[in-house]
Amino acid sequence: MTDTIQQQVFEIIAKQAKVDPSTVRPESTLKDLGIASLDAIELIFDIEEHFDIAFPEQQGANFDSDTAQDLVDAVRKGLDGKAAGGAGA
Amino acid sequence: MPTVTTRRVAITGMGAVSPFGVGAGALWQGLRQGRCAIGPLRHRDSERLRVKIAAQVPESFDPASGIDERTLPLLDRTSEFALHAAREAIAQCGLDFARDDLGLRTAVVVGTGVGGELTQDEQSRRLYAENSNRTHPFTIVRLMTNASASHISIAHGLRGPAYAVASACASANHAIIQAAQMIRYGLADVAITGGTEACLSYGALRAWESMRVLSDDTCRPFSANRRGLVLGEGAGIFVLESLEHARARGADILAELAGSGMSADASDIVMPSADGAASAMRQALADAGLAPEDVDYVNAHGTGTQANDATETRAIRLAFGAHADRLAVSSTKSMHGHALGASGALELVAAIGALRDGVVPPTANLDQVDPACDLDYVPNVARGMPVRAVLSNSFAFGGLNAVLALKRAP
Repeated sequence: MTDTIQQQVFEIIAKQAKVDPSTVRPESTLKDLGIASLDAIELIFDIEEHFDIAFPEQQGANFDSDTAQDLVDAVRKGLDGKAAGGAGA
Repeated sequence: MPTVTTRRVAITGMGAVSPFGVGAGALWQGLRQGRCAIGPLRHRDSERLRVKIAAQVPESFDPASGIDERTLPLLDRTSEFALHAAREAIAQCGLDFARDDLGLRTAVVVGTGVGGELTQDEQSRRLYAENSNRTHPFTIVRLMTNASASHISIAHGLRGPAYAVASACASANHAIIQAAQMIRYGLADVAITGGTEACLSYGALRAWESMRVLSDDTCRPFSANRRGLVLGEGAGIFVLESLEHARARGADILAELAGSGMSADASDIVMPSADGAASAMRQALADAGLAPEDVDYVNAHGTGTQANDATETRAIRLAFGAHADRLAVSSTKSMHGHALGASGALELVAAIGALRDGVVPPTANLDQVDPACDLDYVPNVARGMPVRAVLSNSFAFGGLNAVLALKRAP
């Protein structure tokens, strides 16, 4: 299950970055992958939609320095929150 | 090339509906006192929205006050704001449009980012949420983007060129520039112009949430702890006329609209460009015959987003050179919020107030220095100082920039 989440997130990232999923590393930042500005916001939206979760507000809307692993962790946290009964906004 | 005769442009009336209530005076007094009109969001869907704050026109605003009862059902909230602001501006200027067919030589150009958003949202709710098969028959006339310009024209018998201008957050400034150019080049003797916006619908608020640019505490332009913009609403409407026309009738001139600059970044759809903004500011200075040293105050676009405030700071340095360090720069959005297509109009009230009273309104909520924002932003408290000329900046999503240059009444 854990690997599946990582695979799914990496695939969504790869689609947005228009690269092969195998090239996405846990330590790759969105900036490394060329995902900036609105593209990063769209990526967050795609991940939220895919897992039916809501990421907390990240002020400054600067996801550029987030790594692929950061997003996987955020998804896990979001899914845990959902399982604990915290509905998405 | 044939010589073009140009005329100078005077501002002889102003009106506003803002989070400070009805009246340009209420808005200016609030701003010079450094009062922040941002508060808890009042909305039928506030329970399920993430956004909890906004700068809203107070509940005391009575749209029906002074508006013909047959007109009222035709109005979206954008048009209500515009009609109230226009009535105030026109009363102040003292013009009689019936006299000598002045109405024929009067233009109306009103900026709005999205037009009748609340009407659109309300009628969509009927269709999609309530499964109604009908929308209200006035839906189209309420929501059309030109409705505000049309209602001002109808209410005051103004039969010259009339239309809306849309450039998102720069709509008001683009509209005002268009109106000024009509007067400058003789297409109209008088123009009613400004901007209006009432966009706090459930759908639009959700869309802004998704974009992740909204602040959750307050609007802190140029402060290191800024967390985004705060949405607002309102309208500012002005009467422009040729300087000779205003002088001939002995009008009280509020300020001279001395020049303007417009540019497009031609780069990213949302990330601002310092070069594009600087280009518009340089054009405004040149068009107004101003050297950088002649300007004392810049009313910044200053949205409170990370990207805008640092980029605008760089742009001001590019346009003003060494004089940037002697400028007073403030963002009044820290107090009246971001009224999108009406912003430039609310900010023109601030610019005129600064020129007339010799008081620069502050940037409220600025409490942490950001090394990337290193100008004098007049933090938190207004400053009494001589103000000879002002630039007022508006920069829009889409990379569209519009800057006004104002001088004291000649």
